[in-house]
Amino acid sequence: MLSVRDLTVSLGSETAPVDIVAGVSFGLGKGEILGLVGESGCGKSMTSLAVMGLLPQPGPRLRAGKVLLEGCDVTQLQPWQRVEAGHGRIAMIFQEPMTSLNPVRRIGDQIAEAVRVHEGVSAAAALSRARELLEMVRMPDPAMQLSAYPHQLSGGQRQRVMIAIALACRPQVLIADEPTTALDVTIQVQILGLLRELCSRLEMAILFITHDMGVIAQLADRVSVMYAGRIVETAGVESLFGRPRHHYTRGLMDCMPSRNSGARRLPTIAGQPPAPGTVGAGCVFASRCAAVRESCRLAAPPRTEIAQGHEVLCAFPLDGGVAP
Amino acid sequence: MSGDVVLDVRDLRVSFSVRRAGRKYRVQAVDGASLSVVEGEVLGIVGESGCGKTTVGRSIVGLARPDSGAIRFKGADLIGAGGATLREMRLNVRMVFQDPYASLNPRRVIGDSVAEAGDINGMFGSRAERSAAIAATLTAVGLDPSFATRYPYELSGGQRQRAGIARAILPTPSVVIADEPVSALDVSVQAQVLNLMMDLREQLKLSMVFISHDLGVIGQISNRVAVMYMGRIVEQAGTRTVLDGPLHPYTRSLVAAIPRPDPSRRIVAAIEASEPPSQFARPRGCAYAARCPIASDRCLADVPQLRPAAEDGRLVACHNV
Repeated sequence: MLSVRDLTVSLGSETAPVDIVAGVSFGLGKGEILGLVGESGCGKSMTSLAVMGLLPQPGPRLRAGKVLLEGCDVTQLQPWQRVEAGHGRIAMIFQEPMTSLNPVRRIGDQIAEAVRVHEGVSAAAALSRARELLEMVRMPDPAMQLSAYPHQLSGGQRQRVMIAIALACRPQVLIADEPTTALDVTIQVQILGLLRELCSRLEMAILFITHDMGVIAQLADRVSVMYAGRIVETAGVESLFGRPRHHYTRGLMDCMPSRNSGARRLPTIAGQPPAPGTVGAGCVFASRCAAVRESCRLAAPPRTEIAQGHEVLCAFPLDGGVAP
Repeated sequence: MSGDVVLDVRDLRVSFSVRRAGRKYRVQAVDGASLSVVEGEVLGIVGESGCGKTTVGRSIVGLARPDSGAIRFKGADLIGAGGATLREMRLNVRMVFQDPYASLNPRRVIGDSVAEAGDINGMFGSRAERSAAIAATLTAVGLDPSFATRYPYELSGGQRQRAGIARAILPTPSVVIADEPVSALDVSVQAQVLNLMMDLREQLKLSMVFISHDLGVIGQISNRVAVMYMGRIVEQAGTRTVLDGPLHPYTRSLVAAIPRPDPSRRIVAAIEASEPPSQFARPRGCAYAARCPIASDRCLADVPQLRPAAEDGRLVACHNV
């Protein structure tokens, strides 16, 4: 349904671009949750903003690539065309709902506003749709909460409001950028459960962006691991966690405390990710990889489909013995 | 683990005055918490935002003023202490903060921040001695001594947190209170900093209070855990005991909610919304009763006290387990 091809986002001048997202491709089917996981600065948020057409101006720009929503390249459309033609049915929720909500407007009005933009209905009809949307996101006492201000809600409730606003355009794709990172774990499971429910009930696809491998494992159907602007591994969730093939993926899993209960020391990944613009011809992970060979530093690794639906960007992938 | 109790907190109560909509409220951040730290152990305090875990830590180092209770360091009461006792305890009980960017002075070089406690106490006989102490401390936390002349903005998040740790171990303390020291870090860096803290604890024979919302991290570093909810400790026991067999219903839901890198444990759709009560309207009985699957009438009236629940020293505050 959504197909992203060779997405490249760059900073700097036309003549000397610095790629912060370099040739990212992925597909997303109806009712599917794709997890995009990586550490800070890997380009996962820039990828999502580029898909939404929300790259900050001035700043990074989309240098190459296509975002096809049911065959139509939405990067070629003006924002108003995206809304009018219904091609903009990609919605997004962010990490901190407080910064996305207007603090001086009632939440009912804020949801109704989104409904009116997309459906052109009367104010009264929009408000009753807003109430429906609050019910859909399982907001306790939805009729009452329509007249609440954002500061009167808890963090979890605010994120429910954001999801309601996102659902106002009846999206085919929902991009969720670290939507539960600011929430407590007992609230986080409630929001993740809600997203899972909406995904199947509305046949909506979700691109779920996070740094948390645990959340990804329990929520996503498929996972793409991002490092230094590139997707280094994509696989079904069972396959990725059962048999990680990229050395970075394996490193990320190994250093999680919950995977090492009782170990005296945690395994670590030496070094730091390369700064954008310092990436040479070779593999982006070469400087930190424990299994690096001379050829890795010279030529970029090939993208290979190592098993059914399991792609890896590595010249010498792990043989995929079962992870501990 | 048996040994001398270095730090003992009894019936700690801390409240803050908060103004909302023109009215003054008192928020009881810590409502009668007791815990003790045995020499050489790491006590984890875990709980969700607003449960009072940070306030407990800040009270211990004197950054929050308790309403009542006692905090004893090697037998001496810290509340209301002054002069030499206070100075001595401030050198011996040190704190590592969550956000090393906010807690390091941006206009001072790392070396000056690291040496501050020594400077105030006239520890260094000469400039050379001071530089040597800074270099040795930076090396101990895995930073090159040349970092002494750099400013915080020149450092990455992981390096800054190493500097924050360096500042807490010169001169070597007995107890370190670490408040969410790895929460702001990426997992690969988080593992490096956790390893460093475990190494330092062993080399310097530190005792530690490790405050975190992350049970995975707590499970890695601590020997015992205290679980807090709405200002009270609801369960306290050895780390494995709590993580492998939580007894209090809140601890159970907390342990169940830890995201685990295990795809066979899928998130199930549609969990009913349930959130902690407001700080401004504390329930009369158990603070968890409204969310609790096993709550009874008694829970709505009586606050359950922390009591021994098994012969292995586990403490639980619940009427129904």
